[in-house]
Amino acid sequence: MNNVKIKSKNLNVYYGEKQALFDVNLDLNEKEVTALIGPSGCGKSTFIRCINRMNDVIDICKVSGNIEIDGVEINDKNLDVVSLRERVGMVFQKPNPFPKSIYDNISYGPKIHGKGETKSELDEIVENSLKKAALWEEVKDRLDEPGTGLSGGQQQRLCIARAISVNPEVILMDEPCSALDPIATAKIEELIDELKKTYTIVIVTHSMAQAVRVSQKTGFFHLGKLIEVGKTEKIFKNPDNKMTQDYITGRFG
Amino acid sequence: MNFVLIFLITIFSLSLFFYGRSKTKSIAIEKNIKLNALPKFYGYYLVLWCSIPSLVFLLIWSLFEPVIIKSIIIETAANQGAIFNDKNEANLIYEKIKAIHLGTYFGDIDSILRESALAYAKFINLFTNSKVVLIFAIVIVSVIYSLKKINKNNKARDDVEIILKGLLFVSSLIAILTTLGIIFSLLFESIKFFSVINIFDYLFGTNWSPQRAFVRDASSITAAEFEELKDAFGFIPLIAGTTFIAFIAMLVAVPIGLFSGIYMAEYASLKIRRISKPIIEILAGIPTVVYGFFAALTVGPFFRQIGENFGLTVSSESALAAGLIMGIMIIPYVSSLSDDVINSVPQSLRDGSYAIGATKSETIKKVVIPAALPGIIGSILLAVSRAIGETMIVVMAAGLAANLTINPLESTTTITTQIVMILVGDQEFDSPKTQSAFALGLTLFIATLILNYIAQRAVKKYREKYD
Repeated sequence: MNNVKIKSKNLNVYYGEKQALFDVNLDLNEKEVTALIGPSGCGKSTFIRCINRMNDVIDICKVSGNIEIDGVEINDKNLDVVSLRERVGMVFQKPNPFPKSIYDNISYGPKIHGKGETKSELDEIVENSLKKAALWEEVKDRLDEPGTGLSGGQQQRLCIARAISVNPEVILMDEPCSALDPIATAKIEELIDELKKTYTIVIVTHSMAQAVRVSQKTGFFHLGKLIEVGKTEKIFKNPDNKMTQDYITGRFG
Repeated sequence: MNFVLIFLITIFSLSLFFYGRSKTKSIAIEKNIKLNALPKFYGYYLVLWCSIPSLVFLLIWSLFEPVIIKSIIIETAANQGAIFNDKNEANLIYEKIKAIHLGTYFGDIDSILRESALAYAKFINLFTNSKVVLIFAIVIVSVIYSLKKINKNNKARDDVEIILKGLLFVSSLIAILTTLGIIFSLLFESIKFFSVINIFDYLFGTNWSPQRAFVRDASSITAAEFEELKDAFGFIPLIAGTTFIAFIAMLVAVPIGLFSGIYMAEYASLKIRRISKPIIEILAGIPTVVYGFFAALTVGPFFRQIGENFGLTVSSESALAAGLIMGIMIIPYVSSLSDDVINSVPQSLRDGSYAIGATKSETIKKVVIPAALPGIIGSILLAVSRAIGETMIVVMAAGLAANLTINPLESTTTITTQIVMILVGDQEFDSPKTQSAFALGLTLFIATLILNYIAQRAVKKYREKYD
C-alpha cells in the first residue's frame, strides 16, 4: 500500500441552495490510480474539482470541510491557488486544446509558472511532455500547427501533455475518454498505466470496464455521498454495499 | 377611392376565412370524406385568393393610371390647338388642367384649357369606374375559382404554402431590386461625372473645391473652363480627412469599447451586467445629431479654450472634437459586439487555462482574447465602416474646408460632409458639382462594402471554429 497523498475529511459542497456532496471522507494513495464511479450527477466531478479548487470559478459554489495534500490543508482562503494548480493538473471530459499551435499549447503552462526561461529549455519541456503523453512521434514534425487540428484522441493526449508540462504531482481526469473512440480510449488507458509510476491519478469514469482496467482503488458515489471505497478488485468482485452491487451489475444508474 | 377599395377587399376576404372554414367542415360531414387539410387552411386559401390578385391589380393600375391619363390629356390639348415646344411646357399645361379640374387654378382659363379640363374630368371618371368594375370582376372570378377548388377538396395546405412562399420571394426580390437600383443610379451618375472629370484627376487630386463648377451644365463646358475644373475635384483631401477622423474615433472607441466588453464578459457580476449593459447600449440610441451639437457647441469650444491656455491655435471646428465624439458614439458597437464574441469563447478553454494555474487576467490575455480575436477584429472593422459613413457629427463639428492636414486641431472635412454640402440648397442637376456627390457616394459605398465584407469574413471564420 502506498502512502496517502490526498485526504478529504467531511467535505461538503453546495451549489447555491443545492448540496452536491455530503460529508465525503476519502483517501487517495500516492502513485496509484483511483477511479470514481457512480451515476450522472452523483458528485464525482464535483469532488475532483475540489482537489484543484476549480470550483472557485463557479460563483455560487461553496465548499466546507477539509482536503489535505501531503498533510497541508488546501481548502484555505490564504492558499495560493496558482501553485496548487501547478501541483494538481487536470484533464477534462472534452478535449480543450487552446486555439494555438501544438508547441504553444504545451509551453503555455511552463511560461506561466516561469519555467523554461530559454528557448532550448522550453523545447525540452515540450518534447518531454509530448513523449510522456505518447504523442511525440505523431506530432514532432508539425509542432507549429494548431492543436485544434488534431484528432479527438490526439487532442486529449495533447491536453494530458499540457497537464504534465508543469510537472505536477497529481493529475485529475474527468471522464477523459467519454468523447473518444475505442482505439483512442485504449491508447489513453495505456498512457494512464504508464503515468501512474510518476503521478497520483484520480479518474472519473462511467465505464466499469475502464475502472477495472486502469485503477487500483475505486470509490462509488451516489447522490452526493461516498457509498463505498476500496480496492478495485474488491469493489467489483465482492462489494460490501448492496447499492454498489446493483450499480456495477447495471441494475440502476 | 383606393382606400375604400382596399378596405372593402380586406373585410370581404377576412369574412371569407370564416366562410371557407365552416364550409369545408360541412362538406366533410355531408360527403363523409376526409379533408386534405385542416379547415382553417381552406379559410386561408380563400383569403389569399380573394385579396392578392385584386390588390396586385389595384397597385399596378394605380401606378399606370396617371401616366396614361397624362399622355391622353396632353394629346387632347395638342389637338385643341395648345402649343408647347418641349416636355417642360407640356408638363406645365397638364398641371394647369389638373388644377382647373380640382378648382385650385386662378389664372385665365381659355377655351383650350377648358375643353381639356372637361376631357380630363371625363377620363378620370371613366378610369375610376372601370377600375372599380374590373376589381369586382377579379374578386368574383378568383373567389369562384377558389370555391370550386375547395369543393373538390384540394390540398389547401400545400397551396397556401406555395402562395406564401411566393409572397416571401416577392418581398425579398423587392429588397434586392431596390438595392440594385440604388447602386446603378450611383454608378450611372458617377459615369456621367467621370466623363467630364478624369477618374485619375479625381482619385489622386489634392485639391477639393467643387464650388468652382457651380451652375455649369456639363454639356456646355468650354475647353478653358474644363482646364480650370480639372483640378477642382481632388479626392485625396476628403479621404485623408475621413480616415483621419475615423482614426481618432477608433483611438477612442477601440480601447474603451474593448476593455468594457472584456469587463462585461469576464468580470462583471450578473447584477452589474444587467444594469450596465443597457446603459452602454443607450449610447447607441442617442441620435447622431445630438452628438453633433454636443461636439460643435461643447467639446469644440472646450478644446479651443484649453488650446488657448497652452498658446495653441485650435480651430473651433476641429478633427479632434469630431473624432472624439464619434469615438464615444461608436463605443457601444465595439463593446457590445466584443462582449458577445468573448462570451461565445467556450468555458472549457478558460477551465483548461485555470486548471494549469493561470490567473484570470493571464487567461483572458493569452487564451480568451486570442480565441476571440477574429471576432473582435470583425467588430472593430464594422465600427470603422460606421465611422466612415457617419455624417451628422462631422457636418456639425469637423468643418467644411477641405484642408489636407494631419494636425488634429485644425478643421478638416470628410466624404459624407462634402456630399451634404453639395446637395443642400439649389443646384443644377447636371452640373459636375452635383454629379460629384454621386461619385463620392459610390467611392464611400465601395469602401464600406469592402470593410464590411472583410469584417463578416472574419466573424464567420471565427464562428466556424466553435459551433
